[in-house]
Amino acid sequence: MIRKIAMALVAGLMLATPALAADPPAEIKIGTLYASSGRFASISMPVHSALKIWVDQKNAEGGVYVKAFDKKIPIKLVAYDDQSNTATASTLYNQLITQDKVDLLVADSGSVLTAPAVAIARDHKMFLFDQTGTGASFFSKDNPYIALMADPVSTIWPKPVADFLTQDGPKLGIKKIALLYSTNEFTGTQANAVRKFIKEANAPVEIVYDQGVPTETSNYTVIINNIRAKQPDAVIHLGYAPNDIAFLRNVNEVGAKFKWLFCIYPGLETELLEKNVGVKGMQHVFTYVPPSELNYPVNFGMKMPEFRALWNKTFPDGKVEFGFNAVAGYTTALVIEKTLSVATSLDQMELRRAVFSLSGQLKTLDGTFALDETGGQIGELTPLGQLEPDGKGGLKFVAVYPHDVATGKPVYPRP
Amino acid sequence: MPSALRHLLFIVAPLLAVFAILPSVYENHLMLFNFVVFLILAQGVNVIYGFTGYLPFGYVGFFGGGAYGFAVMVMHLHASAPVAVVVAGLAGVALGLLLSPLLRLSGAYFAIANLAAALAVLHFVANPALETITRGPYGVSLTATFNPNAAYAAALVVLALTMGAVVFLKNSRFGLALQSVREDPVSAAMAGVSVVRMRVIAWLASALIAGLAGGVYAWYVSVFFPDNVFSGTFSIFAIVFALFGGVATIVGPIVGVLLLYGVYNLIGFTTPQYFQLIYGLLIMGLVLFLPAGLVSLATRRGWHVP
Repeated sequence: MIRKIAMALVAGLMLATPALAADPPAEIKIGTLYASSGRFASISMPVHSALKIWVDQKNAEGGVYVKAFDKKIPIKLVAYDDQSNTATASTLYNQLITQDKVDLLVADSGSVLTAPAVAIARDHKMFLFDQTGTGASFFSKDNPYIALMADPVSTIWPKPVADFLTQDGPKLGIKKIALLYSTNEFTGTQANAVRKFIKEANAPVEIVYDQGVPTETSNYTVIINNIRAKQPDAVIHLGYAPNDIAFLRNVNEVGAKFKWLFCIYPGLETELLEKNVGVKGMQHVFTYVPPSELNYPVNFGMKMPEFRALWNKTFPDGKVEFGFNAVAGYTTALVIEKTLSVATSLDQMELRRAVFSLSGQLKTLDGTFALDETGGQIGELTPLGQLEPDGKGGLKFVAVYPHDVATGKPVYPRP
Repeated sequence: MPSALRHLLFIVAPLLAVFAILPSVYENHLMLFNFVVFLILAQGVNVIYGFTGYLPFGYVGFFGGGAYGFAVMVMHLHASAPVAVVVAGLAGVALGLLLSPLLRLSGAYFAIANLAAALAVLHFVANPALETITRGPYGVSLTATFNPNAAYAAALVVLALTMGAVVFLKNSRFGLALQSVREDPVSAAMAGVSVVRMRVIAWLASALIAGLAGGVYAWYVSVFFPDNVFSGTFSIFAIVFALFGGVATIVGPIVGVLLLYGVYNLIGFTTPQYFQLIYGLLIMGLVLFLPAGLVSLATRRGWHVP
């Protein structure tokens, strides 16, 4: 008798299983990694903190709307600390997929910590929400399991810089360009892109100095003198924040007066650069204008002032810096939210289809989200700007290119 | 039964069997793969440090060199993955030969010079001028050979070979000669041991092991940058694991990897916020109370540790 009841129960459970499978899950599990220590902590923590802010905000509203189940479902963020260690990151990405069985997989920040996830996600047929891993090698036609959320892919990122030099540059008298870059994937790829755009423009400008140096370089004195010897009209320095700090300090120390000088991080980590280089050393430097300075019109999510206010409320001590990376994390969150609101199931290929359907349509505080066919981000371009004195002892951004977003004229040559 | 056979039967074979079976019962294969890679690297450190006394802080140079040897073979010569792994090992040996003059140094001087050499290899590989060969700093994507299961099996083969080499060193006159060189090179030379030849062979064997490990690692991960495979963490972990268990033994590095890397993952999955604290305390405790590694708990009592 007991055996018959047990068999009936098992049969009943088996019959009930398909119905249960269609039931909405109690929570949507989003798996991600962050680096609380190590060389990538400074870029990873703002991105991760922004993602957490979004999770808390949505859960306070009862969850995120999931079209597949036509209801709001709370989010569970499963996050591990990879400590900037790539071998650890590999293990943890695998843990998220195989043990935690997350519904959505989100990479850590930067290309080096995203790289281990690319192959793992593909192997497990999980779609990877790549936050800021801009490495060109991640995106190929034969890998449908990745898309870049928040930064432009490195191969197009410096387009506004090159376009300004080739289109507006000759009118200003810029003919000779010096290109100095750190030999890592992020800045090396941007250097390649600058060369390519300048060559393709067929403009009357030429690169008279082209040099890569190790990322660990901390003294640029000799290099600056070598650049001066070539008498360039414009100098492009592509490096990480420590490189920019050392380079700008050395430029001021040796008294080099470059007429036009571009660095990446005065725009991306302005507060850090101000602390280490000083306001005077950054005056009239050209850089990327971060979205936090632009107030893009949005059709989804918070506008920049609202997001900034929420950030300041969440981190009143200012220990996690607000800026480019914080916006990147929130942008990823918005793409995820919008994806869940249009995907008809949580199947990974359906998630991909939903993400790609947002291309060109989704406008966030980071600009227009746009993907190429391989998943590389080709929207959200950062305009070229110049740091000018704000009259109160600080600095302000003046966007100079493209012209449709320009807020002022470039100061050339630098005083 | 000869002791070498006993060691193979009761230490190496069970270890390999466990790691061959585990993927069928535990899904995080990459974690298991990392265990195998660190077992290989810790034993590689054991070969050079345990048996000759040279502490290779730049051991990752061979590992990264092997990974890029694998990548170059696959990208340019379209070699099959097993052939590329063999070439990865040979790339490690070639680097070992190139750096063999470092063996003229000793102690801290060797360790620092070795670290500098690894950085030099990294910057050589990551040089944009070599983009057409190594892809420079832009990273490689080896989708053509991507096969995690086969790479895991290859890692087990490399582990078997490495363990076989350590068993040989532990049970042969050659290994004894190496240890005599480590303890007192002058006396060893007086006894007829060719000190230079012994050191170079151990150095190249160690480089071969790391190169092979780098090859299988590249096979498994398939997308990587120079920073990924030349990360100093590989050297530090391999050295710490080997020292934690106890070098110049077969089981010491195994115990070190299983315990310390196990704890590492356990903390990483459960209480990452205490990671540095717990791990730091463990290593400090080891240095203060067990400088000869965990196996010294047994050897102090007069027990024989293979």
